[in-house]
Amino acid sequence: MLSRVADSLYWMSRYMERADGILRMLKINHYASQDDPESFTWRPVLKIFSNLEDDAIADMERNGKAVLQYMVVDRENPNSVLNMATRSRENARSVQDNITKELWQALNEFYHVVRNPRLETSLQVDDPITVLDSLVRQCMLYYGVTDSTMFRGEGLCFINVGRYLERAIQSSDILNVRFSDLSHDLERPTDTTYWKYLLLSVSGYALYLKRYRSGFEARNLVDQVLFNFDFPRSVLYSLNQLHRYHGRLKDEQNGEGYAKVDFAIGKVRSRVQYSDVQTISLSGLSKFLDELNSDFNEIGKALNQAYFANS
Amino acid sequence: MALADFFQKYPHDPKVWDEMHDADHVRPHYRNVCDFLSNIPVDELNRKEELARRLFMSQGITFTVYSSGEGIEKIFPFDIIPRIITAEEWRHVEQGISQRLRALNLFLKDVYHRQFILKDGIVPVDLIYSCPHFLREMQGVDVPYDIYIHIAGIDLIRDNDGTFYVLEDNLRTPSGVSYMIENREITKRIFPDLIPQNHVLPVTHYPSILLKNLMSLSPRRISAPNVVLLTPGIFNSAYFEHTTLARLMGIELVEGRDLVVENHRVFMKTTSGLQQVDVIYRRVDDDFLDPLVFNPDSTLGVSGLLSAYRKGNVAIVNAIGNGVADDKAVYVYVPQMIWYYLNEEPILKNVPTLHLSKPDEQKQVLANINKMVVKKTNESGGYGMLMGHVATEKEIEDYKKEILKDPRQFIAQPVINLSSAPCYIDGKMQPRRIDLRPFALCGPGGIEIVPGGLTRVALREGSLVVNSSQGGGSKDTWVINN
Repeated sequence: MLSRVADSLYWMSRYMERADGILRMLKINHYASQDDPESFTWRPVLKIFSNLEDDAIADMERNGKAVLQYMVVDRENPNSVLNMATRSRENARSVQDNITKELWQALNEFYHVVRNPRLETSLQVDDPITVLDSLVRQCMLYYGVTDSTMFRGEGLCFINVGRYLERAIQSSDILNVRFSDLSHDLERPTDTTYWKYLLLSVSGYALYLKRYRSGFEARNLVDQVLFNFDFPRSVLYSLNQLHRYHGRLKDEQNGEGYAKVDFAIGKVRSRVQYSDVQTISLSGLSKFLDELNSDFNEIGKALNQAYFANS
Repeated sequence: MALADFFQKYPHDPKVWDEMHDADHVRPHYRNVCDFLSNIPVDELNRKEELARRLFMSQGITFTVYSSGEGIEKIFPFDIIPRIITAEEWRHVEQGISQRLRALNLFLKDVYHRQFILKDGIVPVDLIYSCPHFLREMQGVDVPYDIYIHIAGIDLIRDNDGTFYVLEDNLRTPSGVSYMIENREITKRIFPDLIPQNHVLPVTHYPSILLKNLMSLSPRRISAPNVVLLTPGIFNSAYFEHTTLARLMGIELVEGRDLVVENHRVFMKTTSGLQQVDVIYRRVDDDFLDPLVFNPDSTLGVSGLLSAYRKGNVAIVNAIGNGVADDKAVYVYVPQMIWYYLNEEPILKNVPTLHLSKPDEQKQVLANINKMVVKKTNESGGYGMLMGHVATEKEIEDYKKEILKDPRQFIAQPVINLSSAPCYIDGKMQPRRIDLRPFALCGPGGIEIVPGGLTRVALREGSLVVNSSQGGGSKDTWVINN
């Protein structure tokens, strides 16, 4: 496969995963803002998902409509869902011959839906959840079409490598957003409705209820989002998938590059696999998440050198 | 209200050949479709038009216009009423085009080798050597099977008596074939069953013929040669076509930056290292192909490509240097070429053309300029053209000055009344002017033309310019087996 094509597939997939993550994040925060209008702030979301200066964040943090407008449809915001959809589609457009027609159409439709001027209006006047849900559905369509139509070859591997790396980053970011409010203290008592929405937004609520019988506790939530082996949005699950799909790219002609990426993935994977909530609460959640973050960057760099450098 | 009324009111202009209607009647090959359309209520036809628009949009069959930093998606306007050609007319067109291509191909071989046609004084030497697309770099280069023109999109028009004329030979990188294929797909969706009922000949096998030809050109005798389509990139207005063709043929779509030349061989950069490329179907103009030889500022091409080509290590489609054969001043001599190389009478006529570098012809043109169409010899897409019958006096004066600066660059033709066909515009059937571009493929096994082509429409009332860059649209084109 052409290096440029691999690069484009990887980014097409990362941007879609990010759009999906942002949409889910906006959704739970909107719920939370309705429950607790007095103390709720959008600051953590804006801090993680935008490049805004502190002043600009201060102006916007209590204005939910402005935040939604900025994060979903603002053309000037490079991290808006609209721009994610545009970039994902541009990447797909340059590799149309390497993806199925169905996949291209799914991305193309998503792009046209987010750009529709009606969306902007209904985000302001109608129920934002309905709007966000309609966009999440577009993302689900993309996932379904990818899984059910794409040929099980190198292309799909790069798509999945991008998807799961991005998802691992997102999941650890979600924890970071929430715990930055709590100074990363796992013992501090918090409002449980927020946890509920967070779990709902990542389809993890039912799993949580079945698994943890002691109500909503921060440490259980961390356990599920970081370490659960079977929860499709946990960091561990994402890393296992990343490892699996990258493993299929093994090729004698590119042994050296492969080994480097494999090393970077293996390193962070074993770090997560052989940790638990107990050890993290001793060494500090903040430190653990920071280290994860820099490990993820290492993987990104290694991928670049091994596969995309030629493009 | 049904469409029947509109058909009754369909205007007839005696000076123009209408594809559907003669002075009194609907032509027999249009009858079936006319009956079908007459029974459709206008609302439903509007819905079908809307469906066609949505299908183009959702499939991303669009071109992007970049303005104010943001891309705007446009669709190439599509008229839902098919244009119909009879099997008999088609046979004539097919034979004419293949004859013409055989002669043009021999001409290219000749002009880049021994130049008999110049020595025999059939085509003037200075005309060839003053043509900017005549590339000395190609002199003496042997190309596989002596084929230069692998893909041609010859433009045909019909005068008021229905005679076909060749307007232009597009022998470099003709575009539009993806619209021939997609337009047919859209018609299948908006008028289910109409195509089989009318015995329309299929066009979908175009990509497989092209792929077969491309594979056969591989310099390496291996079972699975690497064939690629070289595109200028996503900003090119024909990018959609490049991806469609690559996808339909299952070949790699590459940009210049994906290729590298090493030791006179071309390679593509892949995730598992370099892989040799055997055949390049390029959609990049000659001038941008190799910055070492042609335009040094080009970033679209590949350094060293020409040397690999000259050594025969890679095949390039269409051949480099074809521009000398579709220069609009050389066009004048195509009938003579057919006599000279084939000793046959030309089947398709040329539009009578005057070349401004000949003093007597120049005089004749300048005196009658308001009855002429004046064109630049190496521009395409409807640019740099003067339509004498609609131009203002100032435009004519300015254009005359241009001509006198370098008369070699200009030709003049009488205004030809392109034929018209019914189009569905603003809820009414209205005649609009059309042309026809069939796509011919030449391979080692001969010349094949899929029955049909691209019919371009001048959507503005009275306009004679069908180019998409000048507000033209297109139609599905049927050759019916009657």
